[in-house]
Amino acid sequence: MRLTDMAQPAEPSKQSRLTYFDGSSRIVYVTDLEVPFPQGRLIVSSTDLNGIITHANDAFVEMSGYSRDELIGAPHHILRHPDMPKVAFKGLWDDVAAGKKWHGYVKNLRKDGFYYWVYATAVPNIRNGVIVGYTSVRRKPSRTRINELIPLYKQWLDQERSVS
Amino acid sequence: MTITFLIAPDFSPERFAGWHMLNTALQRRSGVHLHLVTPATAHEQSEVMATGQADLVYANPFDAVDMIRTQGYVPFARPAQRFDEMVIATGSESGVATVEDLRPGCRIALTENRDVKLIGLRLLEPADLAESHIEWVHVDSYQAAARKAIKGEVEAAFFLADAYASLTKLTRSHLRVLVESAIHDISHVLLAHPRLAGDLAAIEKAFLGIGQIQGDVELLDALGFPHGFEVMSQEQAEFMIDLMDTLLD
Repeated sequence: MRLTDMAQPAEPSKQSRLTYFDGSSRIVYVTDLEVPFPQGRLIVSSTDLNGIITHANDAFVEMSGYSRDELIGAPHHILRHPDMPKVAFKGLWDDVAAGKKWHGYVKNLRKDGFYYWVYATAVPNIRNGVIVGYTSVRRKPSRTRINELIPLYKQWLDQERSVS
Repeated sequence: MTITFLIAPDFSPERFAGWHMLNTALQRRSGVHLHLVTPATAHEQSEVMATGQADLVYANPFDAVDMIRTQGYVPFARPAQRFDEMVIATGSESGVATVEDLRPGCRIALTENRDVKLIGLRLLEPADLAESHIEWVHVDSYQAAARKAIKGEVEAAFFLADAYASLTKLTRSHLRVLVESAIHDISHVLLAHPRLAGDLAAIEKAFLGIGQIQGDVELLDALGFPHGFEVMSQEQAEFMIDLMDTLLD
């Protein structure tokens, strides 16, 4: 499933075109408005081997701003925020495809252009010795760590833009 | 043939009678003789498990990981709509208003319940607190944890959410909840040893039928499972284990 362009939010926003790893692209709109991570909750989702969402818990649906029907069957990069450099995800797919756990701090983009930060852990779902999909759990992150990472992510993003 | 039915030791003491009522009802309805074993501690539970005699186990999710993936126990049911959640609370006069107010070196009281500790550690991450930053104060009961928080002997205490809710109103009035988990995906689980294959259908039917006969309401109230039991498939249990795996870092 290819993602369609985002609808422009009512709040002031910046437009950019995101190109995903599969070569598809779409226009997204981002605002400067953050939605705090819900206290005490975990955001849980699962995907198939191609990164297509197969399960979303209530916290995932609520925080994404999309309906469950919009999420199930969509690629997980529906949440990709243009402030996230590709290198921040480096190793994610390599690690989980190799049967290993992956962690990272991620800024996610909501349907309404707002954003939220998470600490994400992804694990492969191994059944009878075979990887059948992946599960990702997002927790409330450390604000200290996010503040350390923001300039680093910006630096990586600038490097990626200068190369492309 | 007698089947040994092991109950994880982390239920509240007032539920003790409920487990015996359940055991009696299950025997009557399945025609299988069950011997209820209720270890008082996780250590006692480990000793029973080590003998290999536990046929049926009501396991906490942390222990279920090893029982399912290493020992081959088969998940078949769980309490319906009843998840394992935890509470981090402080004394109401402590001056600690949020989790982020807790600092490295803080003292936290906790019982030996590993699930509570695991989830609690994850809820402390926004405060930049890891296990090694905390002075752990081990206590025997949630009541003791509450007393230490109220007296200011610890900055916070970890509770199983059910245990926190069962504290007296007076005790809770002297505590302040900093955060309560709402994960909704982690629960205790009923497991059967593979050698029970021949009896499992009758036992499972008896579990799932609890709540459908007049008088069962009293039993379920005593257990603290108002919605009875529901099927838990192997895949649902595997998914829960994957989820727990993401918390073990």
